[in-house]
Amino acid sequence: MKKILSIVLFGLVSSMAYSADKLTLQLQWVTQAQFAGYYVALDKGYYNDENLNVTIKPGAPDISPPQVLAGGGADVMLNWMPSALAAREKGVPVVNIAQPFKSSGLMLTCWKDTGIRNPADFRGKTIGVWFFGNEYPFLSWMSQEGIPTNGGANGVKVLRQGFNVDPLIQRQADCISTMTYNEYHQVLDAGISENELVTFKYEDQGVATLEDGIYVLENRLKDPSFKDKMVRFVRASMKGWKYAERNPDEAAEIVLDNDATGAQTEKHQKRMMGEIAKLTAGSNGALDPKDYERTVSTLLAGGSDPVISKKPTGAWTHEITDLALK
Amino acid sequence: MNGNWIIILISLIPIFTSMKMVFKKNFKKNIKNSLFLSISVIFGIYILLYGVHNIGSEKAGLGLWMYLFALCVMIWEMLSSWSEIDTSLNSKLNFIINLVVPILFGISLLFLWQVLTVGLKIPHILLPSPLKIGIAFSNSIPMLWEDFQQTFLKAVLSGYFMGCFSGFIIAIMVDRIPFLQKGLLPLGNLISALPIIGIAPIMVMWFGFDWQSKAAVVVIMTFFPMLVNTITGLSVTGQIEKDLLHSYAANYWQNLILLRIPVSLPFVFNALKINSTLALIGAIVAEFFGTPIVGMGFRISAEIGRLNVDIVWATILVAAVSGSMFYALITICERSLTSWHPSIREN
Repeated sequence: MKKILSIVLFGLVSSMAYSADKLTLQLQWVTQAQFAGYYVALDKGYYNDENLNVTIKPGAPDISPPQVLAGGGADVMLNWMPSALAAREKGVPVVNIAQPFKSSGLMLTCWKDTGIRNPADFRGKTIGVWFFGNEYPFLSWMSQEGIPTNGGANGVKVLRQGFNVDPLIQRQADCISTMTYNEYHQVLDAGISENELVTFKYEDQGVATLEDGIYVLENRLKDPSFKDKMVRFVRASMKGWKYAERNPDEAAEIVLDNDATGAQTEKHQKRMMGEIAKLTAGSNGALDPKDYERTVSTLLAGGSDPVISKKPTGAWTHEITDLALK
Repeated sequence: MNGNWIIILISLIPIFTSMKMVFKKNFKKNIKNSLFLSISVIFGIYILLYGVHNIGSEKAGLGLWMYLFALCVMIWEMLSSWSEIDTSLNSKLNFIINLVVPILFGISLLFLWQVLTVGLKIPHILLPSPLKIGIAFSNSIPMLWEDFQQTFLKAVLSGYFMGCFSGFIIAIMVDRIPFLQKGLLPLGNLISALPIIGIAPIMVMWFGFDWQSKAAVVVIMTFFPMLVNTITGLSVTGQIEKDLLHSYAANYWQNLILLRIPVSLPFVFNALKINSTLALIGAIVAEFFGTPIVGMGFRISAEIGRLNVDIVWATILVAAVSGSMFYALITICERSLTSWHPSIREN
């Protein structure tokens, strides 16, 4: 009798799971506290409460989320706005449905002994820049400063930096791109003290662009059931983000539990979560149109190396966050 | 309206040709008929390309696909007609036919690619049409030329020569020193099995971001095939020739230079040909792991990240052409230096 009951219960439970809507989220990097909100929502059952069965796909150095979205490998992706706008111009119609990250964590970290004190000193120096969608803010900034990026005494020599801090440590570059929450700490962990370095935050330079945002393909939003799924997804994800902001250590633990590679360390993730909380603070998930306009004008001002050639239309929508955050 | 009538008339030309082919009793495979077929195929190709580029925003209709199918059958007939022309009595004609058939086949494949990508409205980022690739290529020639210089002329060629030369020298040392023979070959085997993806970042850390680290990767990749092939080549001298030089009181070095190295040349060239492909692959892949912003590997990875798939294809085109030219150059050297070898004499 007990066996039959348990089988019937199991069947009921699994049929409930089947009835939950499936959703695949493509992250733009490997599992780390940068995506804590989504892992918290997964572990704490916020997605289950909204009847969603979410699969989180971690990214990797050569995975481009717009490509994954275009190829049908995911329903929703995280991306930085410059990369998403460029993809939109190339014919992949991605649209921003939520913006959990209010501020940018991108910065250039330089050796103090190179004598660099302000951006004009970049001339003649070697700078490591990430590519695969992350080069746009830098190219835009250099164009606004009027510094050519093809080397020479008057321009900067750009190195395609891998996703590590070796070029700075090995003195192959004078400056490298770092995130406030990740690579900067890797530099400090390598034994370099803060007063040997000089940093330029993109936010302080006025050339910051919006970072991690939630994007979907435009034509899918026309389907009412998909739209409803997205509303529930954004609602649960933002709940996860706000929980992570208030409980950074627990969020870091959740991220570590979900890290299939085992490569992340507790100290690093807790530090990262602390920094990420500074970037998500101030946003309830809805995209602030002023931030969007600032990002677009930064990108359009990159005259010689334009990231986008014209003002995008229909690149973002409030229709999901209006319903999700009611 | 007049333009439309001309289009319809031109599109009928291949149809009449094919009818003539089918109903004529003895359609000989000679040059005149092959040319006749080729010209009508060209008209058909023109019509299809015109049609497929003017269909607006929908996919191509059934009529166009049926015409394409019929044209493909005709292209098949045309190619078989060209290749079955009797050239046993005329070697110049043979040479010309051997050029014409691959060219026509290549053009037909490009045409098929163009019609399918445009007619099926395949998204540009999945597979661009040859026309788009050609346009991207011609618009980016200065950039592609710089990439070619950085990757091929600097990294590939220097790494190739250093790797092959060191492989050759070490093989001669192995031949001379017995313990190296037993000890070095297994180690060399191990080194050559190291994946490029593991070696490349280490080389970048050792030698910096520029072409030197890519050349280092190429050296590691080309060293072992050259070593093994040279050792094998040095071991295949015939006993009769060895006895002859022994009877002339040749010392080790005279023996080596006058007999054993020339005899090993076919093997050495085998290695050189293998290494030409490996060198290009190694340099391009190594550039994925740290490079200044120029080079073919950099171009491919950066532009695929920016979804500029047509420039990626243009770079692939440059890589394919340069790889083939390099291989052909080595084969020409091989033909001239080892013309005595049976494998070359047969042809």
